[in-house]
Amino acid sequence: MKPTRKAAITRRRKRFIKERELWILFAIMLVWVGVICYYPMYGLIIAFKQYVPGRSIQSAAWVGFKYFKQFFSSPDFPYVIRNTLVISGLNLLFGFPAPIILAVMLNEMRMRRTKRIIQTISYLPHFISWVVTASLLFTLLNSEGLINKFLLDIGLIDTRINWLNDGQYFWGILVTANIWKNVGFSSIIFLSAMSGIDQELYQAGAVDGLGRAGQIWHITLPGIRVTVILLGILQLGSILNAGFEQQLLLGNDLTRRYYEVIDTYAYKYGVQLGNYSYGTAVGLMKGLISVSLVFLANALSRKTMDIAVI
Amino acid sequence: MHTYYPKTVWTRLFDLFNCLALFLFSFLVLFPFWNQICISASNLKVYSMKDVVWLPIDFNLEAYQMALTDVRIGKAALISVLRVLVGTTTSLFCTGLLAYVTTIRWFRGAKYLRRIFLFTMYFSGGMIPTYLAYINLGLFNSFWVYIVPSLINAYYMLLIASYIAGLPDALTEAARIDGASELRIYIRLIIPICVPVFAAISVYTAVYHWNAWFDTTLYVPSGDWDTLQIYLRRILLEVEAFSKIEDASTAYAKFKSLAPQSMRAAVTIIATVPIVIVYPLLQRYFITGITIGSVKQ
Repeated sequence: MKPTRKAAITRRRKRFIKERELWILFAIMLVWVGVICYYPMYGLIIAFKQYVPGRSIQSAAWVGFKYFKQFFSSPDFPYVIRNTLVISGLNLLFGFPAPIILAVMLNEMRMRRTKRIIQTISYLPHFISWVVTASLLFTLLNSEGLINKFLLDIGLIDTRINWLNDGQYFWGILVTANIWKNVGFSSIIFLSAMSGIDQELYQAGAVDGLGRAGQIWHITLPGIRVTVILLGILQLGSILNAGFEQQLLLGNDLTRRYYEVIDTYAYKYGVQLGNYSYGTAVGLMKGLISVSLVFLANALSRKTMDIAVI
Repeated sequence: MHTYYPKTVWTRLFDLFNCLALFLFSFLVLFPFWNQICISASNLKVYSMKDVVWLPIDFNLEAYQMALTDVRIGKAALISVLRVLVGTTTSLFCTGLLAYVTTIRWFRGAKYLRRIFLFTMYFSGGMIPTYLAYINLGLFNSFWVYIVPSLINAYYMLLIASYIAGLPDALTEAARIDGASELRIYIRLIIPICVPVFAAISVYTAVYHWNAWFDTTLYVPSGDWDTLQIYLRRILLEVEAFSKIEDASTAYAKFKSLAPQSMRAAVTIIATVPIVIVYPLLQRYFITGITIGSVKQ
C-alpha cells in the first residue's frame, strides 16, 4: 500500500513540476507574441486619432473617421483601387491556370529523368528574391536590352521602347513576372494531387475508348478538382493582395499611376511622407476587407466542398 | 505513369509538342540568368549590352574581381549569411518548441496558446503600427529586427504540430516517466524525429532571410546592417538613375572604370548563386513541406 501511495504522490508532484515548466514556456511565448504581434495592433487606434510623430499615442486627439473619408475622397483613390483590382484580377486570370497547365504537361511527360530536371528548373525563380528578379528585368527590358533587340529583329516594333518607363506596359510586365516566378512552384501541389489519382481509372478509360486528350479532360482534371476549387477560393479571398515588393522594385515615378496599389500607397503616405494616421487608416481598411474576404472564402469552401481551410 | 492510350500518330505528335513546349519553358526560365552571367563577364566599356546574347564578349572577370574585393559587398554578404544562420536556427527552434507545447494534450495551456497564435495569422497591426511599435521596442536600426519578429511563424507552427500529432504518445511518455524535462524531450526526442518537416521549413525560412530586403529599408535606414539584397537594390537604383541622366562620366567614376551594368550583373549573380546551390539539394524536403501543408487543408 504505502509505496504505491508514495509513488502516486511523487508522480503528482512530478507532474506539477512538469506543468510548471510548461507554464514558464507559455509565459515566455506569451510575452513574445504580446510584444511583437499584439502590441502593434494597439497602434491601430492611431487610424482614428491625429497622431503626431514623437508624441505618445494617448495624447493624440480623436478624429473619428476623418482619415478614412480623406482616402475615399482623395484623387488617388480611383486609380489605386483600380490598380489593385486589375493587377490581382490578372494574376488570378492568368496566374491561376498557368501552374495547372504546367502540371498537366509535366504529368504527360514520359521521360522521367528529363521531367525531373525540368521540374527542378521550374522551381528556381520561386527561390530567388524580387530584387534579383527586378535586376534581370531591368537588363532584359532596358532600351538596350534583348527584348528590344528580339522584337526589332522580327519586325514587331521599329523603335526601341523603354518598357519599364511606360505605364501602359506595366501590368503586363508585372503579371508575366509573377507567373514566371511562381508557376513551377505552384504546380507542385497539382502534380501531387495528380499522383493520387487511381491508375485503374485510366485503364478503364482506355477500355471505354478514351484517347489521350479524353483522359486528360475526363480523368486527370476531374481528379484534381477539389484542389483546384479550394486554391481558387483561397486566392479569391486574397484579391486585395496585389503584391508589394514587385511594385516597389519595378515601378518608378513615370509608371506610378499604373503600379500604385493599396499597400504601396499606405507605405508611401504612412512611412515615407510621415502621415502615420492616414497610412494606418488605409492599411486598416484594406486589412479588414481582406480578413472578411478570407472568412467568406472559407465559408464558401465549407459549404460547397465541405472542407474548411481555417 | 499511365500509358493507357493507343500509340497513334496523334499521341506521338502530342508527346513531341509537349516536350518542345516544356523545353521552351525551361529555356525561358534559365535564359535571363544565363544572359546575366554573360553580361557580368563581358567588356561593356567597349560593347553595348545588346551585343551580348548567347556568350560573353571579350570575356573577363573584372566585375567579379571588383565585387569580391569591395569591402562593402563583403560586409553585406557577411551580414546576409549571419542573418540566414541566426534567423533560421532560432526561428526553427522557437517555432518547433511552440508547436511541441501545443501538442501536449494534458497541458491545459496548450489550446489557449494555439489560439493566441492562430489569431495572429489573420489579424495584425499592419505595416505602420508595426513600424511604430518596433521603434518603441528599440528594434530600430538594430540587427535584431531581422531575428526577433520572425522567431515564431504561426503557419509553420501548424505544420510542425500536425507532424508531431502523428507521432505515438508513448514516445514522449516514456522519456517523461524517466524524469526528462520538456525542453530536454523537445531537444533530444522531438527535433531528431521531426527532421523532415524541420528541413522543409528551414528551406523556406533560410530563403526568406536571404531574400528579404524590405525590412531593411523600413527598419534599418542607417545602413549599418545592409544585406546583400539591399546592396543590390541600391545598385539597381543607381544604374537606373545613371541611365536616365546618361552622364557616363559620373557612372564610370562611381564604379571605377567598370560599366555599371557589369557590376549590377555580377552582384545579381553573387546574390543568386547560394540559392542555386542549395535548393536542388533540398528539393525532396520542400516538396514534403507542401504536401504536409495540403494534407492539413
